[in-house]
Amino acid sequence: MRFEPTMKQAAIRRTVREFAESRLADAAVEMDRTARFPWDLAREMAELQYFGLEIPAEYGGAGLDAVSSAMVVEEISRANAAMGLCICVHNGVSAYPIYLFGTSEQHRRFLPLLSSGEKIGTFCLTEPNAGSDIASIESTASRRGDEYVLNGNKVFVTNGGISGINLILARVQGAERKGGLTVFIVESERKGLDKGPPEDLMGMRGNPVCPVSLNDCCVPRRNVLGQEGEGMKVALSSLNGGRIGIGAQAVGIAQASLDVSLTYAGQRYQFGKRLVEIETIQKFLADMATRIEGARLLIYRACHLKDRGLDYASESAMAKLYASEVAVEASRRAVQIHGGYGYTKAYPVERYYRDAKVCEIYEGTSEIQRMVIARSLLREIPGSKGSRSEKGVQGHQMPGRQRA
Amino acid sequence: MNIVVCIKQVPDQPTIRIDSERMTLIREGVESTINPLDRVALEAGLHLRGRAGGQVTVLSMGPPQSEESLREALAAGADRAILVTDPAFAGSDTLATSHVLARAISRLRPFPDLLLCGMKTIDSDTGHVGPQIAEELGLPQVCGVNEISLEGDSLVVERLSDGFLDTVEVTLPALISVNRDLCPVRSLALGSLETAFSQGNIARWGREELGLSEEEVGPKGSATRVQRLLTPASTRKGELVNGSPRLLVDRLIGTLEALGLLDEEDG
Amino acid sequence: MDKSGLLHGVWVFGDYRNYFQNRVTLQLIAKGRELAETLRTRVTVLLLGEAVHQYAMEYIAHGADIVMVAEHPDLRCYQVESYTNVVARWAEAFKPDILLGGATSFGREFFPRLAKRLKTGLSADCVRLEVDPDTGLLLQTTPAFGGNLLAEVVSSHRRPQMATIHPYVFKELPHKASAVGRVVYPEIEVKANTQVRVLRSRRQQARGGNLEDAQIVIVGGRGLGSREQFKLLFELAELLAGEVGATRPVVRAGWADEERLLGQTGKTVKPKLLISIGTSGALQYTTGINGAETIIAVNRDAHAPIFKMADLGLVGESSAVLPLLLETLRKRI
Repeated sequence: MRFEPTMKQAAIRRTVREFAESRLADAAVEMDRTARFPWDLAREMAELQYFGLEIPAEYGGAGLDAVSSAMVVEEISRANAAMGLCICVHNGVSAYPIYLFGTSEQHRRFLPLLSSGEKIGTFCLTEPNAGSDIASIESTASRRGDEYVLNGNKVFVTNGGISGINLILARVQGAERKGGLTVFIVESERKGLDKGPPEDLMGMRGNPVCPVSLNDCCVPRRNVLGQEGEGMKVALSSLNGGRIGIGAQAVGIAQASLDVSLTYAGQRYQFGKRLVEIETIQKFLADMATRIEGARLLIYRACHLKDRGLDYASESAMAKLYASEVAVEASRRAVQIHGGYGYTKAYPVERYYRDAKVCEIYEGTSEIQRMVIARSLLREIPGSKGSRSEKGVQGHQMPGRQRA
Repeated sequence: MNIVVCIKQVPDQPTIRIDSERMTLIREGVESTINPLDRVALEAGLHLRGRAGGQVTVLSMGPPQSEESLREALAAGADRAILVTDPAFAGSDTLATSHVLARAISRLRPFPDLLLCGMKTIDSDTGHVGPQIAEELGLPQVCGVNEISLEGDSLVVERLSDGFLDTVEVTLPALISVNRDLCPVRSLALGSLETAFSQGNIARWGREELGLSEEEVGPKGSATRVQRLLTPASTRKGELVNGSPRLLVDRLIGTLEALGLLDEEDG
Repeated sequence: MDKSGLLHGVWVFGDYRNYFQNRVTLQLIAKGRELAETLRTRVTVLLLGEAVHQYAMEYIAHGADIVMVAEHPDLRCYQVESYTNVVARWAEAFKPDILLGGATSFGREFFPRLAKRLKTGLSADCVRLEVDPDTGLLLQTTPAFGGNLLAEVVSSHRRPQMATIHPYVFKELPHKASAVGRVVYPEIEVKANTQVRVLRSRRQQARGGNLEDAQIVIVGGRGLGSREQFKLLFELAELLAGEVGATRPVVRAGWADEERLLGQTGKTVKPKLLISIGTSGALQYTTGINGAETIIAVNRDAHAPIFKMADLGLVGESSAVLPLLLETLRKRI
């Protein structure tokens, strides 16, 4: 069990931090104000391989391990959460699933475009009537010879406004409930894929989150990711990885909140002393620091399992659940510590607070995460549906048990 | 063109810890980075390689953890990295350090056409090692360069020295120390970092490989010795004045006069 | 028996370029006299160039006992290698105890090469020099980490003990027309340096100001409030013949170029006077200004950390103080 970053991970973290502080931090204010996506910065980041974090070098990616990748997302998000979101969704739930489930032909066709940042990726899951309840999506795919015709409406697609490649979950017609769900890789320029105007968001402004609708969009068979009917498996697996990214993003926001709070409290005087010398404030800061450490370690644990090829669904759920709640609390505390100034736009903390909230919602709400974790716990109880004794499942990883 | 860039790993922050016995810096546990001006020198070397072809070798003398900086240099694009390290080198002043580095450079095949280094380091601040390497190797030197161009077999460089902007032609091989303004430093690409750390090759040369005796290196090979380290005495008077802007301005002007920076006035 | 009267002594390199602004040689002659008295020896100034006799007279008037001159067309321009050749030969012949030079750009490039030639120790940019009463060694105090730490350095065995000294650390002695001294012309062998050729040399102010050489630096921080307020600093700098520096938030806001940045990731300055306006005093900034001789700070917050390192702290609004200061100075200058 190792708790220190390797020399490589330390170097990566430092490199990204320097880049983020010098190139992304100031842009964050502008992005939040105008809600405009900074293409010039995206191009710079693409050249530095931020768009192919865990994709192997043969497809133009950086080939990083999961821990390094999480560090990258954290450091970017610390300076600019909206860019962090772009990177983590593009990498975590778009490029990586194609890598995991795609054929070699799909690898060659799509991965270089995604790794180079030439095309930005999305995963279109949520619909007006299907948020947490993925299985009840209504988008359809009708078989027609060698292709599928897609129809449906997807909402809240992160990176939607700028995407080139979209993973779309739809139900193949004529199949039973779970059997029909399929993930399709749909290029934005395909006729029939239409994007709506971007949402006017509370936070993460600058990321063009928009509705994507499919109107008789024809997609060839070779664009199916995985098998027909495997859509749920692909989606859930993607979300496992995506959760790590969101968790890392949340930790970045929380860390930023702590950093500026320390600076402010170290300089501001009230009642004849600096805020840091006041016990209540010390308690706030201590709690923030402790919880951020905890969140980070949960993330690294999930990454560690992922890198080893072990099941990490529950661990990534824990990481995302905890980190997102830590981010909301830390940013809220940060505003409090800054007092009246914290409520103004002159300080970044109000933006951190607005940015943090969505971490508890997207890629599976905190309620869903708790369900995932509970289900995992319940499997240990004999007599429960799907318990080990019932199904004779071997070697299921449980929190607290011995791990490989 | 065969380019050698000398880099030094330096502490990243002003959180300094001192080994009061050896009178040197404690390097363990402190975050380290490539000396910023050396990073500029490396970038310049990579540019020149781009224009003239050839190879960029990065050389560093330091404790084993300097390896990290050499790997970052490989990630930036250097072709070859050499760590000159030996416990016997610890406590070397610039005279001994330049001797070790000069010896290492003289062992390179082929002998470099150009030696690049940063004008000075953020920890020792001397700026001595470059010129001292040049002297030992009998090479011409130009320090504080902020512009380099290749003209056939020689280099034309520009530098600001005591208020004079000099344009200098120097025949190769030569040593050039660079200034911050020479060129911007690009951020490292993530894949390059990954490759440099997982596959990068760092050669390691110690005292014996370099054919150096114990008397030539470390404290024995040094001419200067740090007798003690001090924090700048807090000689600041720290006088605080509150009042109207008029009062404050008058106090300020009074100080300027006292320092002799304004002519005394009758009005 | 020292028949020539030239053996040993405290030597000072005569850096006469920019003679009227660059007073460091005169400052070192003054300190040299002090050291020489303790060591019971003389101060010798080295003068290399072409047609430099006038400087010899100046140096004597400011306290030099001896001026050792090398006049040759090939020495007309400052040149590291050829100067090293001349001075190294002299040092080997006359064995000075101490050899001082100003920490000018040239000095900092020339002295290390010379020290290496002589295989002796050199300290850089000293801010203090004393003779140790017990050992008789020259105690050289040099800044490290941008001046946040000071190192006391000695050269116990090698000679001469060499040091470059920061300008304005010592005070020059007033010009005394009646002073007496010797001007000598020891033998020299000058070879023109063909490896380094100065094609052009023109007077130039550094882009972004000559911050590191400036004797007066005015720094503006975010507390100034606006780009327009920051611009006023340039006028102030002009009135005081100083340079303008900036903190990182100011550079971030685009009020000033990166070249004006002071601090950990920017420049380090050691001016005679530094006026810091609207800066809170973040550590990343103050590490760049620690070495200033006198610091005056203006800030509206009496508890701003900058006041801990200021000699004079003025608690007030920059937006009120700065324009009033300018108005007052305009009338005077």
